[in-house]
Parts: sequence; C-alpha cells; structure tokens
Amino acid sequence: MLQVEEMYKSFDDFKAVNGANLTVEKGELVAVIGPNGAGKTTLFNMITGQLKPDRGNVIFNDEDISKLPPYEICRKGIARSFQIANIFPRLTVFRNVQVSVLSQQGKSRNLFHPAQELAVEETKSILESVGLSDKAGNTAGSLAHGDQRKLEIAIALGNDPELLILDEPTAGMSPEETAATMELIKQLANSRGLTILFCEHDMEVVFNFAQSIMVMHLGLTIMQGEPDEVRNSSRVQECYLGGA
Amino acid sequence: MFRDIFNLKSVGPLAVVFIILLFLPPIIPRFYIYILAVIFVTALVAMSLNMVVGHGGLFQFHHGAFYGVGAYTVALMLTKTSLPTWVGFVAGPIIAALVGLLIGAFCVRLTKLYFGMLQISLGSLIWAIAFRWYSLTGGDDGIHGITMPSIISSSKGAYYFTLIVLAICLIVMYMIFKSPFGATLQAIRDNPERCEAIGINVRRHQLIAIVIATFFAGIAGVLFVVVEGSVFPDLLFWVLSLEIFIMCLLGGWFTFAGPILGAAIMISLRTFVGIHTEYWTLILGIILILLIFFLPEGVWGYILEKFGRQAREVVEGGSD
Amino acid sequence: MEFGQTITISALGSQFLVGLSRAMILFIVSSGMSFVLGVLRVPNVAHGSLYMIGAFSAFSISTLFGGGSTGFWLALILAPFVVALVSLIAERTLFCHLYEREHLMLLLFTFALMLILGDLVKMVWGADYRSIMAPELLRGSVSVFDSPFPRYNLFLLIVGPLVGIGLWFFSNKTKIGKIARAAAVDREMVGAIGINVSWVFAFAFVLGCFLAGLGGALVSPMVSITIGMDHDIIIEAFLIVTIGGLGNMWGALVGSLIFGLTQSFGVLFWPQFAIVFPYIAVVIVLTWRPKGLLKSVW
Repeated sequence: MLQVEEMYKSFDDFKAVNGANLTVEKGELVAVIGPNGAGKTTLFNMITGQLKPDRGNVIFNDEDISKLPPYEICRKGIARSFQIANIFPRLTVFRNVQVSVLSQQGKSRNLFHPAQELAVEETKSILESVGLSDKAGNTAGSLAHGDQRKLEIAIALGNDPELLILDEPTAGMSPEETAATMELIKQLANSRGLTILFCEHDMEVVFNFAQSIMVMHLGLTIMQGEPDEVRNSSRVQECYLGGA
Repeated sequence: MFRDIFNLKSVGPLAVVFIILLFLPPIIPRFYIYILAVIFVTALVAMSLNMVVGHGGLFQFHHGAFYGVGAYTVALMLTKTSLPTWVGFVAGPIIAALVGLLIGAFCVRLTKLYFGMLQISLGSLIWAIAFRWYSLTGGDDGIHGITMPSIISSSKGAYYFTLIVLAICLIVMYMIFKSPFGATLQAIRDNPERCEAIGINVRRHQLIAIVIATFFAGIAGVLFVVVEGSVFPDLLFWVLSLEIFIMCLLGGWFTFAGPILGAAIMISLRTFVGIHTEYWTLILGIILILLIFFLPEGVWGYILEKFGRQAREVVEGGSD
Repeated sequence: MEFGQTITISALGSQFLVGLSRAMILFIVSSGMSFVLGVLRVPNVAHGSLYMIGAFSAFSISTLFGGGSTGFWLALILAPFVVALVSLIAERTLFCHLYEREHLMLLLFTFALMLILGDLVKMVWGADYRSIMAPELLRGSVSVFDSPFPRYNLFLLIVGPLVGIGLWFFSNKTKIGKIARAAAVDREMVGAIGINVSWVFAFAFVLGCFLAGLGGALVSPMVSITIGMDHDIIIEAFLIVTIGGLGNMWGALVGSLIFGLTQSFGVLFWPQFAIVFPYIAVVIVLTWRPKGLLKSVW
C-alpha cells in the first residue's frame, strides 16, 4: 500500500534522513524504531507532505505522492497524528473532530448550512470509539494530557483514512495509559479496517503490537522485518538495542 | 434549518435591542440619531474585520482600505456618473471585494506579521493614489455633498436604512459563523498546520474569508456615505484600520457580537470625550493599554467568562 | 496632469543627490526600526512618534540656546538622548511586562504608545508649525551638476553613512551588539546562558528609538516641524523595513535608497504623483520577493 523509496533530506549540513526505505502492506501494523535523532519524525513529515524530500519517492496505492501538499495527501486517504498534541485549543472537543469529518466530506466551504447539523453521527461515533463522548462539550485546550492524546487520534480518524500514521502515540504516558492506548489503536484498526504506521520508543509496545518493524539509525534504514527477525538481528542489536 | 440557530435564546435579546432601536428615532434628539447611525456603520465594518481576525486569525492590519474603497466607489459613481443610485450601492461592495481578492491573493502567500505588513503596504498605495489624484477624488479634501435619494437622505431615513442593512448583514454573518465554513475558519485560526494535515486548503479558505469580509466592509463603506454624505482619504489611511482593530479587541474578538459592543463604546466615548477635551487620541491610547494589560478578552469576552456558558449561548447561539 | 520638465542630465544628477540625501534620513530612522524589529520581533508603531519628538525636542533645545549655530549642534546631540529617555521610561514601566505575551499584544502596545505620544506632543508644543534654522556652516547651496544643491543635504550624505558604519560596528564588534543579534535569532538560548533577556530588549528598544530621535533632529531644519510627522514617516519606515528584509540593517539601507530615489526621480517624471512611485516600487519588490530583498534576521 505504501512504499517509501530511497528518501534523503538534509537541513543545511545535517543529514536528517539518509537513505530510508519502508514498505507497508494493507491491513498491517508497522512500526518504525530507532534512537533519538534517527530521522523518524522527519521521515513521517515527508510522507505526509509537511516536508519535501531532497531525493526519493513516496508511493501510495500506486500513486507517487511525493510532491503533493499536505492537504492533498490527506485527501488520498492518509491521516496522521502528531507527537505533541496538535489540536484546536479554543474549539470544543466535538468541534475538533467535526472539523476533520467535515473536511473529509468535502463540506469545509459550505457557507449557509448550520454546522451543528452536519456530520453529527460520524463525529459522535468517533468520540465514542476513543472514549471522549462525555467530554464532547469541553474546550479542547482544557483537557488533561492523556485526553488530548486521544483527541489527537480522534481528529485523525475524522478523515476516515485508509492509512493512519501515528507519531509516538504513547509518548509521555504511564504503563497503564500506554497499554490502554495501544489496545484502543488495535481495536480501531480492526473495526475500521485501518492500516497503521507508527513510530515509537517504547520497545514493549513495538514488539507486542507491530507485525512489521523498520529500524532506522542516523537517517538510514538498517532493516525491515518481522519482530523476531529484528530481535535476532545482530546489526540491529549492535546499533540500537544493545550497544550505543 | 434556520430554526436551529436562530432560536429564542440566541436571538431573543438582540431582537429586543433591535425593536427598541426601531422605535427610538421619534423620541431622541437628532444628534443621537446621527451618532447611532454612525455606530451602526462602524459596527458593520468592525464585524467584517473580526471575521478574518478574531475568527480567522489573520493579521488584517489594513482592513480600512476596503472600507474606504467601498465608500469612494459609491461616492465617485454618484458624483461623476449619472448612473442610478442603487448601481453605486451595489458597485461599492463588489469593487471592495475585488480589491480584497487582489490584495488578499498577495498576502495569503505569507503568514502573520508578513501578511500584515504587506497589506499595510498595498493599502497605503491605494491611499497614496487617492490622496494625490485631486481631480478624481478631491485629494486631501475628499468629496462632499453627495446626494442621496430622499427616503434615506434625512437623519431618520439614514438611521433606518443603516439599521436594516446592518441587521441583514449580521444575520448573514451569523449564518456563516455557524456554518462549516466558519467552523473550519476558526480551526485554521487555532492551528493552520493541523488543518493542512486534515485535508483543508488553508490558503484558499483564508482567501475566501477575506473576500467575504471585504465585501461586508464595502457595504459599510456605502453606509458611511449614506450617513455622512462625504468621503475623505482618512478612510483609506492605516490609522483608521488600527482603530477598527482596537474595536474588535475592545469588544472581544473571539466572540461573535463583541465588535458591535466595541464599536459602540468607541464611538460613544469619542463623541462625548470629544466634547470635553481635544485629547481623545490620548484617552484612546490609555484605553488600549488598559485593555492589553487587564482585559485581553475584551469587554464582551470578559462578561462571557464571568457569566459562563449561559451568556455564551445568548450570543453564540447554542452549544455544539 | 503635467509631466516633468525636460529631463536633462543635470536634473537627473541633481535629483539623484536629493533622493540620496532623503534616503539617508530614511535609513537612519528605518535602521532603528529594523533593529527593534530584529531583536523584539515586533514593529514599533510608535517609531514615528519618537522621530517627531526628536524634531520637536531639537526645536526646543535649539531655541533654548539662542537658536543659532550652537543651538543647532547642541540640539542635534541632545535631542536623540531626550527621545531615548522617553522610550526608556515607556519600556521599563509598561512595555517590558508584555514580553511574555504574544506578539500581537506588543504591537498593539506600540500603537497605543503612538496615540499617547502624539497627543502629548500636541499638549507640550501645540499644533502650530515650528521651524529651525540650519547652522551658518550648512546654509545655502553649492553647485553640483549645474544645479544648486543644499549644503545641508551634503551634510546628510556624510552623516548617513557614518551612522550606518557606527551601527554596523556596534552590532558586530561590541559585546552588547553581538548579544542583541544573538537574542534576535534565539532568545531562549541567550536567556539560558544567563543573560537577562529583558535588559537586552530594553537596550535594543532604546537604541532603535535613539536612532528615530536622531533622524527627527537631523530632518528638523529641512521641513516644517508639525504634529502629522509621525504618521507620514511611520508608513515609510514600515514599507522600507518590509522590502528590505525584517530586521536586516543592510535591508533598511537598500529599502531607503529605493524609496528615496524613486520619490525624487518621480518628481522629475510626474510631480503630482511623485509620492506614489515609492509605493509602486514596494509593490513590485514584494511581488517578486514577498519576504523582502535581503534575508530577514529570523
């Protein structure tokens, strides 16, 4: 479904991504791991269009999306959540998700129909599926950190994507919250038929949930394979798990 | 459909105010009728600015340029051509919106401060041309003695005309505010990057908002000519634009109706302070500083905070 | 609409010099604004008011000392410091408390300051036109390109570059200048290494206003000193800084040259609309390079 080929990106002299490759099959849960500074977020930013690669291609469903702006990439069926909660602080929780659904329905520019009548069912169902129904009327900026992360994901779901990209979904969470979030993600993937690509630092999460793992180091893809392969690979152990 | 957003809670108080205003002219002195008419016009231009600033997050620093363009268009059409009055009235907002589209297209390529400074530059160009083109625009003197159709040329006539136009515009603006377009615009204000990521073409959306807002500014410009019977280059000068900005801030720019209150307070203060001292500008500066330090949410915003959700529903017409 | 008189080499050369000397005043004023914009990331809307106070102070100081040559030179030296003092007071009592707030609030504060200072000037000096005479040394004109060229303008052509060099030296070679430049790029970093960022800002603001006052004092013998001066110069400074590149001193120079020269040549070609030419130049520059000709400091 998603193919990332030979991606390169430098910022002045700093080579953030230096030859990254990634394959994501439909319906899979794929994880990207690597130490801090390995280039994971930069890679994600290039896939979703926030950054343009210096070299390389991103192919999604047989279409080259490398040069498209973020909003068009989103329309193709890719949604993402951000590492730091990137929500709409002054709007209510309900509105946060509704805006996303309206965008997906192509109704963002609808001028004369009251918004509160549109996309209500879809929004409610998304809020229910992440467990935020009771907070629908709250201002997003006033939510607790954990709830903001849930809202993060809910907004991305509003786009009814085929591929959901999550940037460190459990960052800063306690073990219980982490487990709950990952369960939620897995559940959403199953119930909505989503393909999931995420990057993480928490190894337990990765090895418990991912079906395919891509390992990055210093901007380069070391390998991609099933969890056991990765666990047993000496190259990976050398540069990441065991060593430096 | 209308029933949902125009329910008794949201419309009630404003409708009451409207009805009171309808019955005022016979019982108050002519001077007050004039001042109220000025407030109506200013409220409209402030509301139109708030559409892009408070709801859209754009640094629209020279909104007055579009207000002035609307006013000058109708003034020129009425004095230099023999076209019927209504043509001028219609041309005003349309030309203002066209200029808004042109300038907006330049400015949306940039963000925040750059957007604002570029707009001041472009707006000032229009001012400079109007200021110097004496034969056409009367230069520094402006154009005076513009005659209106007799129904609206009297004090009361102008009052009712502006009140009704204002009411209609407010209804339309409210519908836009409550529409998906308005919701998306506010989302763009809060987080444009996230909007791009959820499939919204932010620039186009902002540009459309600018065109709508400048259209309303153009209507306000026409109303200005109806009330005052003249135009001056000051309408196009950036200082006025910043004053309108302050009105939005004063009223509360994250609310819907705040700017109306801001305009009312400003005009009233200016009129009555002006009677006692010539240092209105100093007072305005002090008010602004007080606002910045103590009331950044504006007067109406403050009231809403204090009286909570109930008051919010009155003005913003129902929760989600 | 009449177009200019026959355009001779002499007229071109003469207008070139006039435009150049006007550009020097613009440069001094806008470099101050640019400096503040670079460090605080806020355009100081009150910059024009401080320029105006510089001119009025120069008038008062000069009158105080007899109105002759001594008066002028003393005014030129002291007026900028008066302005610097005014700006320091405004900064330390009110402005500095807003540094943690969003930039829009800072901008609105400078607008409030402009409104207040404008009326204060009216209160202190009244609404009449004032004027100052240039000192003996600089009165009259010399013949350049077969046209009379005011000696005072020649003076400006010397002072302008001197101020520019001084400012450059100051930003690049002195410790405090370098700190200010660092704060422009990354204020958190500067704070993290133990420097009081608030004082850096205060310093930058006062220096910028000093330059505005200097510009006002320098222009005082050339124009009528009046209460509309703030509005006129602030728009010009804004535009110059925008086309030059935000916070960039060389940008302020380039912008000032473009502004001054297009206006003076405009006088030759189409006197009635001479003031429109700089605006058109601005539009052209900004279409081609929306972020300004030179790199912005941040």
